[in-house]
Amino acid sequence: MDTGTVLRNLLTLAWLLPLAGFVAEIYALQLRWSHRLSKAPAQLAVACIGAGFICSLSALLYWGSATNWEAWSPQHHGHHADAGHDTGHADAHHDADAAPADAMHPADGADVAAHADDSHDKAEAHHPKFYAGTFYRLAKFGSLDFTLDWYIDSLTLVMFTMVTFIATCIHLFAMGYMKDELTEEYEDHEVHLPGGHHFTRPGRFHRFFAFLSLFCFSMLGLVLAGNIFQVFIFWELVGVCSFLLIGFYVERHSASTAANKAFIMNRVGDFGFLIGLMILITSLGTFRFFDSVENGVEQTGLFTLVRGNDGQLDVSDAPSAVNSVVYLRDSQGHRLVDGTQPRTISYMLLIAAGLGVFAGSIGKSAQFPLQTWLPDAMEGPTPVSALVHSATMVAAGVYLAGRFYPMFPPEVLLGIAYIGCITAFLAATIAIVATDIKKVLAYSTISQLGYMMLGIGVGGWSAGLFHLVTHAFFKSLMFLASGSVIAGCHHEQDMRKMGGLRHKMPITAYTMLIGVIAIAGLAIPGSAALFGQPIAFSGFHSKDAIVATALAFTELNPNSLHSILFIVPLVTAGITAFYMFRLWFMTFAGQPRDEHVYEHAHENPPIMTMPLLILSVLAAGCALGGEEGWLFSLISYSESFPLHAALSSHRVTDIVIPSHPDVLRVHGTAGGLALLAAFAGMIVAYLLYCRKVVNPDDIRRQAGGVYDFLVDKWRFDTLYDAAFVRPAHSVAYWCQAFDKTVLDVVLHASAAVTVVVARWERLFDEGMVDGLVNLVGNTTTSFGRSLRVVQTGQLRQYIMWIAVGVVVLFAALYTTLPK
Amino acid sequence: MLSPEYLLSLIVFLPAIWALLVLFFDGKASDEIRYFGVIGTALTFALTLQLVSQYKLEPTEADLHQGMQFYFSMPWIPNWNVNYALGVDGISLPLVLLTGFVSLLAMIASWSIEKHLKGYVILFLLLETGMMGVFLSLDFLLFYVFWEVMLLPMYFLIGVWGGPRREYAAIKFFLYTLAGGVLMLIALLMLYFTSGNSFDLLYLAQVGQGQVPGLSFSKNFQITAFILLFIGFAIKLPSFPFHTWLPDAHVEAPTPISMILAGVLLKMGGYGIIRLAFPICPLGAQYCAYGMVALGVFSIIYGAFAALAQTDFKRLVAYSSVSHMGYVLLGLAVWQVAEKAGDPNLHYWRMGVNAAMFQMIAHGISSTGMFFMVGILYDRVHHRDVNQFGGIAGLMPHYTGLAAGIFFAGLGLPGLCGFIGEIFSVLSCWNFDKTLAIIAASGVILTAGYILWTMQRVYFGPAYKGPHGEALVPINGREKFVSYALLAFAIILGVFPNLLFQYMDPSVKLLVDNLDAAVHPATVEAATTMVR
Amino acid sequence: MEPVGLNAFLMVGAIMFVCGIVCMAIKRNAIGVLMGVELVLNGANLNFVAFARYTPFGLDGQIFALFVIVLAAAEAAVALAIALNFYNNHLTIDVDRGNELQG
Repeated sequence: MDTGTVLRNLLTLAWLLPLAGFVAEIYALQLRWSHRLSKAPAQLAVACIGAGFICSLSALLYWGSATNWEAWSPQHHGHHADAGHDTGHADAHHDADAAPADAMHPADGADVAAHADDSHDKAEAHHPKFYAGTFYRLAKFGSLDFTLDWYIDSLTLVMFTMVTFIATCIHLFAMGYMKDELTEEYEDHEVHLPGGHHFTRPGRFHRFFAFLSLFCFSMLGLVLAGNIFQVFIFWELVGVCSFLLIGFYVERHSASTAANKAFIMNRVGDFGFLIGLMILITSLGTFRFFDSVENGVEQTGLFTLVRGNDGQLDVSDAPSAVNSVVYLRDSQGHRLVDGTQPRTISYMLLIAAGLGVFAGSIGKSAQFPLQTWLPDAMEGPTPVSALVHSATMVAAGVYLAGRFYPMFPPEVLLGIAYIGCITAFLAATIAIVATDIKKVLAYSTISQLGYMMLGIGVGGWSAGLFHLVTHAFFKSLMFLASGSVIAGCHHEQDMRKMGGLRHKMPITAYTMLIGVIAIAGLAIPGSAALFGQPIAFSGFHSKDAIVATALAFTELNPNSLHSILFIVPLVTAGITAFYMFRLWFMTFAGQPRDEHVYEHAHENPPIMTMPLLILSVLAAGCALGGEEGWLFSLISYSESFPLHAALSSHRVTDIVIPSHPDVLRVHGTAGGLALLAAFAGMIVAYLLYCRKVVNPDDIRRQAGGVYDFLVDKWRFDTLYDAAFVRPAHSVAYWCQAFDKTVLDVVLHASAAVTVVVARWERLFDEGMVDGLVNLVGNTTTSFGRSLRVVQTGQLRQYIMWIAVGVVVLFAALYTTLPK
Repeated sequence: MLSPEYLLSLIVFLPAIWALLVLFFDGKASDEIRYFGVIGTALTFALTLQLVSQYKLEPTEADLHQGMQFYFSMPWIPNWNVNYALGVDGISLPLVLLTGFVSLLAMIASWSIEKHLKGYVILFLLLETGMMGVFLSLDFLLFYVFWEVMLLPMYFLIGVWGGPRREYAAIKFFLYTLAGGVLMLIALLMLYFTSGNSFDLLYLAQVGQGQVPGLSFSKNFQITAFILLFIGFAIKLPSFPFHTWLPDAHVEAPTPISMILAGVLLKMGGYGIIRLAFPICPLGAQYCAYGMVALGVFSIIYGAFAALAQTDFKRLVAYSSVSHMGYVLLGLAVWQVAEKAGDPNLHYWRMGVNAAMFQMIAHGISSTGMFFMVGILYDRVHHRDVNQFGGIAGLMPHYTGLAAGIFFAGLGLPGLCGFIGEIFSVLSCWNFDKTLAIIAASGVILTAGYILWTMQRVYFGPAYKGPHGEALVPINGREKFVSYALLAFAIILGVFPNLLFQYMDPSVKLLVDNLDAAVHPATVEAATTMVR
Repeated sequence: MEPVGLNAFLMVGAIMFVCGIVCMAIKRNAIGVLMGVELVLNGANLNFVAFARYTPFGLDGQIFALFVIVLAAAEAAVALAIALNFYNNHLTIDVDRGNELQG
């Protein structure tokens, strides 16, 4: 078996195991292999996802060994030009691995590497950058082929490992967190029935884990997808899993409303996604990411069509972007022709397609202006918030933006950057005033997702996805910690009632602190100078990479507006540090605010604290080495087109995407500034919430307007309600009223007219037609009746008449006959 | 291996024969009649499965008669050149299968019918004969006869076994369909006399496509005939503004009849367009394509909005049918004429027609299921006011899980059948018209809106708010069987749509290629000169 | 002596006919009426025979006369039966007493 097949089999196994788990778990009670008080469904779910993790990890390691670990060290970036880099690892058996199989086509990535930089390490050409192939066909209409594909590169492998690992931890945590459900009579304190008592129902432990398993299946399918259509399929599936999990407490009206809101908001994004898909299938005729061979004919994939083999857009000479077209190319970089006409896609359509697909990301990743669903989604149980609504599913939007990166022209990237920038800032400001511990984390998630988008938008492909992975670790850690707090405080989520909890629950408090430091991006000042690189937790490195790219971008594109793409993330970094430390100080430090809550608080059992400890290690250390470290190297190994030199789609726009050397140049400056901002934020939080230098309540009173505006989440919900929800309902009302009052009335009127006409016709029939016939009959009758008197029955009278008749006859003959 | 004459005739007439046999039953032997009816529909379904197994995916020249398999024709009324001609191709085969399947499930769902059971089963079986006949006949007069035959049992089934306003609904249904039938009759006569006295659908199609030397239909003639046929079928589909019979008929009809109505009868509209209107009047179809797509898109949006405003559960599902069938019209009509041979334009239309066909099947499953789900609740609490439900998830968890699956299929969730039809028809639309494509795509938001909102009001929440709460008992085995059968098909078709596409696509390709060649200017010119 | 001509026969026939008619009209006795009928028929017979004798029609007249005689016999039989029945029902044969055929 070659490498691709092995990887495919391992990942497919990891992907399908949770599905099998889902089926078994949802029918746990019906099939009687478990009962309501049993933890067996959870154990099965953990087994499935744990086995998935082992498969994913083996795949990652197998791939690593098959490629001689070349992706694990930073040297594969062109910009390092490390002369001492080992070039002698292209053994013969690796050549065999890379040989094209039927289902797998040699990656154009190999060609890209070779073409783009001649001085680049030739050995890489022997290791395909990705493996891809087809599972089975959904439909084929002429040249339009729809299949389920797989596409495995280092990003896929990292995502698989990350998702399965975090999911395993969260499953374990949830076994503890959801143990309340292990009962025949679960009392839901959030639901008040008329009569003052709480709602009770049988526990739904098994169903929770079934939904989690289904989610894992969908999420892994999304990551494994080899074409954009397949991404859309799993995109919707993770959406529905999110719907089911947010609305897990179906009895709570707020939960089901939040679930609906999440799904519908996502559908708004998917509407854009769908438009993107329509443009792609119509203009490019394929959804595949990769080039494939069918019946000996090469089917060029999306990325090659648009980017050729050198990562550049082949744009026609036209005075403006509106009229220009992009020539489609094959894997050799030749322009494709259709008869004599070159195959092209209009530049504007390419932008529209990019924006459309990105609209899907906006919905899924809760970016501005569709960010409002994510905070509401915290209605779901906390493990769900940790897994679905922070670490994995919401990050799928970023993943898609990363996966689809080669299709985005610079204008779209700029749009992504701005959206991310706005989102990061907007969510961070709301997080300052949030008091629900989960809501703070939710807003911080939105804000961090904005960061990732920003990173991708300014050309920091690896930086954005790097942040995705690190964020997944520290955010899931923090969510689990908050879940631990909530469970320990008996479902109290309001931070204003907490305080001093670090004495009661030390593991939670200090693992949370690690997460807080990671997200705030703190590092030991001066460590870079001492040790060659900064000593810091993961968040610092990834955020650093984004901020640095943003700075490089603003320097390369000297435009006063674009400079906010650097300033805003910098400010946001400060705000982030502020509100995260605010959270930690309010919850764990200081004096207890609510004695009742404090007294009942307790540390949770090991099943819940163990995942915290494990995750805290990774949150701290996964990005070790920063951009020199293995994680960043792994991710950037699959960078879709190499940024050895600044890219720009010249002739159309003057937007320049920074290259690695550009970023490296400003790295120190950006990192220093970000660190400064983070420290500032932390210190302000310390002063306000620990030292109490100023009472935060005073500030609140001073800036009442701003405070209310932030508490109302910038009033987006109100706006959407007024602008979309209500109008939709009134249009709906008018539609059905139209049916009732126009269409049906027309129908009834025509029916009434028919009845009236019929009535007149009846009169005519009865009066005229029948009258005439009756007249004839009546006349005949009365004539006969009048003759009746002649019939007297008197024989002799008849004879008289005969005689008279004879006489008359004779007389007549006598007078009329000629003589 | 049954010979085609027997197999097809048996599929069509077995239910009718069965109806005759039911006559001999004692009217009071309810259970016997029910089981007998189920056996009849099950046998018919088995025969359709036999048909599928005998259908050749890669037919040889000998198997085919102008794209039709199992074709045969024998004189019926020789004086008027009417034939008893039946045949099946990839377009009708899935619909025949669907009819058998839905009829079986609807018969199983008929357990709650108590009144005049014998008459009910007889009419039901006659209805099935009519439906099968419509999908299998290849003679226009035969088609018309079956079309009208199906109408009468339906009238009585709604009018006798329906809800409180059943008579109004039945008459409305009857008149609407009859009006459509009359328009079809006019077109039938026009075609009969213009084609030199032929009712043969395949021959008429050849004439319409200019393949018969010396004989063709002029453009204006085709447009007139097409519009007549189209209105006739659009009423059945139903498309805005001919749809108002549907909510009333659905609301008043008993659950199994709603299932049949949504599952099969609506498909006849789409089938009629694709089997009759398009092949016979390609120029007319091409002329009306934009209008049809616009009407389809409008139906999608309009139906979704109207569904959003409903409080009657069945009415809501009925309007969702209007919305879903809009995709059928949309997919059928995205006909962008090819400029040259091998033009990808045709592939998009082919995708659209395939998608429309798939959507018909998918809707046949999801909508049947939705009506069944509503019926389960109605049987228990005898009302359908969405706002008076709530908390069903807690009371009937198994049922709620199944209902969620079925409703998600209606919502167009990937992995379930509704998704495939919807997405492919929308994808095919961009090539035809961008604005309409965007409007059609926006339907995904509205669909999610009304379905989720309904689920929230009916299934979620702490407590049931309406009357007869004590009657909400978990579903029984019979109901489970029907629900699982539907859900299984929804999942299978959603995950492996090619199971269906492999049957449909060759026929659709043939149709699409022929039609496009027929409207090609050169063909039209040649046909016109031949007539001169 | 001048031979007897056609006119004389016709004259006798006419007188017999008129007598018959008058008899039928004035007699209230059914038998009398029947006798009138016989007179009318025989008047007609006389005419047939006379025309047969004095015109070149051959034996046609005689044959007609024979038919009439046969018919008259039959008719008399039927009529007498009617009269008898009439008498049975009404105990009279006064034709004026029978008016059941009044319309």
